[in-house]
Parts: sequence; C-alpha cells; structure tokens
Amino acid sequence: MALDRGDAKAAPSEGSRLRRDVLAGLRIGCATFWDLAKLMIPAYLAALVLQRVGAVEVLAKVAAPVMRVIGLPGEAAVPLVFGWILNLYAVIGAMQPLTLSPREITLLALAALISHNLIVEGAVIHRTGMSGVAFGILRVIAGLAAAGIANQLMGLF
Amino acid sequence: MDLLREFATGSWSLLWKMFAIVVPMMVLLELFEGSRAYRGMVRGWSRIVGWLGFSEQTAAPTLIGFLFGLVYGGGIIVRDAKRHDLGRRQVFLMALFLSMVHAMIEDSLILIAVGASAFWIVVFRTGWAAAVTLALGMAATAWVRWRRRKGRG
Repeated sequence: MALDRGDAKAAPSEGSRLRRDVLAGLRIGCATFWDLAKLMIPAYLAALVLQRVGAVEVLAKVAAPVMRVIGLPGEAAVPLVFGWILNLYAVIGAMQPLTLSPREITLLALAALISHNLIVEGAVIHRTGMSGVAFGILRVIAGLAAAGIANQLMGLF
Repeated sequence: MDLLREFATGSWSLLWKMFAIVVPMMVLLELFEGSRAYRGMVRGWSRIVGWLGFSEQTAAPTLIGFLFGLVYGGGIIVRDAKRHDLGRRQVFLMALFLSMVHAMIEDSLILIAVGASAFWIVVFRTGWAAAVTLALGMAATAWVRWRRRKGRG
C-alpha cells in the first residue's frame, strides 16, 4: 500500500489511476473471496461428513454396473465417487490401490474431470444464480456419457 | 475430532488458495482490463467461442474459468453478472461450458501426471464441452420459446 501512495505522488495522473485500480481490485477481490468462502466452507464440511458416513461406498455400489458399460472395472466407481464428493486429488488417491490399464486411467480421468467436487463447485454455480443441484446431476451424467463415447471411439482405432 | 482436524486444515488450505488467487487476479484484471493486449486476447477468444452463443462480455470470465478454474472464473462471473447485467442466458451458457471444462491447466496436468492421455482429456474434453454447450443452449432456447408461445395461447 505504501508503494502505491508513493507512485501516486510521483506521477499524479498515472499514479492515481494505478492506485484507484489497485484499490478497486482489492475491494472486489476481497468481496468476491468472502462471497465464495461463505458458501464453500459449509459445502466442504458437508462433503467431509458425507464421506465419513459412508456415502462413497453406497454410491460406488450403485455406480459399479454403469462403470462396466463405459469400459471401466466396477471397482473404478470408488475413485470416481470420491471425486464427486471431494476433488480430483481424492480421485488420484483412491486410484492408487487399483490396477488400471492406461486406457482405463484415461476413461476414469475423463469422467472425473467433468464431474468432480460437486458440492463445493455446486456452491459456486449456485452463487452465479444457476441451480447447483441440477448442474451437479448434469455433470455426473455428462461425465459418464463422455467416458462411454470415448470408450467406443477408442475401440474404432 | 479427526473430522474436525481435517476440516480445519482443509478449510485453511482452501481459503488460503482462494484468497491468494482471487484477490491478486481481481487487482490484475482491474489494472489490465483497459489495455489493448487484454482486449485483443478477449476478442480473439470471443471469436472462437462466439459460435457457441457467447457475447464478448461473457467471453472474458469464460476464458479465465477455462484456464484457471471454476472458483476463479466463478468469482469473475459473479462480479461481471452484477456489473454488466449479463443476463440469464449468458450466465447459463457459461455455467454449461465451465461445468464441463475448467481449470484446464492444473486439472489436466495432475491427471496427465498419473498416466491419462493428453489427447482425450484436453482435446476431446474441450470438444465435448462445446458440443454440450451448443446442444443444451439450443434446447434451452427452444424450451423458452415454447413456454412463451404456450403462455400467450
């Protein structure tokens, strides 16, 4: 901040513009940060609790038959569901105990990249005025569909 | 107790990462938004995504989200939706595109690092996001028109 003030004195017109822009950026940045944090932190807590009460196991059991349709072993549902609830780092962690072929890693990565961190990112989507829940459902379906289509296309080459 | 500890450390790193990116990015945006280079970049990008239905004003937050992530792009969406009154259709298109593909740099790299194919997760995924945006954008337009017609009749 002290530096900005110095600049403003050195060159009044250019410096005051600089100072005004920096201050506006700081103000908007902090306001946006606070706006998002208010929603993301409770969403993060909800995701952690869901994981603790065994939601991953239940959802993975439901998703396992779908996995086989899109060219993945049923057990790949576990990292995918971890990703839905938590994030991509959880996907990578949960992938480690499985032995997947390079093709299966790519398909799982594709599905997870489209649908991950649904609760926290759903909160961000909600903040823009859209439905976080509807977009969460869309992302799950679209992630599985994209992996299924990629699996078919890979079979052609 | 274990849950609380994980929540505390996780929240701290989430908040810190968000703060360290959102605040400097907003300052940089305020500083460079008026510059010729920034405008040129946004205009180029808006030409690429224009055929998906994005306006030039919506193209900028979409580009930030595409490269750096939904949280950062989302922050700018929230700001610009307020500032420019982007309209529901533009925000819907952005949410569609960014929900399919965002944080192209960080997210792709961490999965390429564990062995995923760059072609499928970068090229195919971007094409997929464009297709979904186009298809659902058109479906939403048709739905809104149909509702309006039904409302009148």
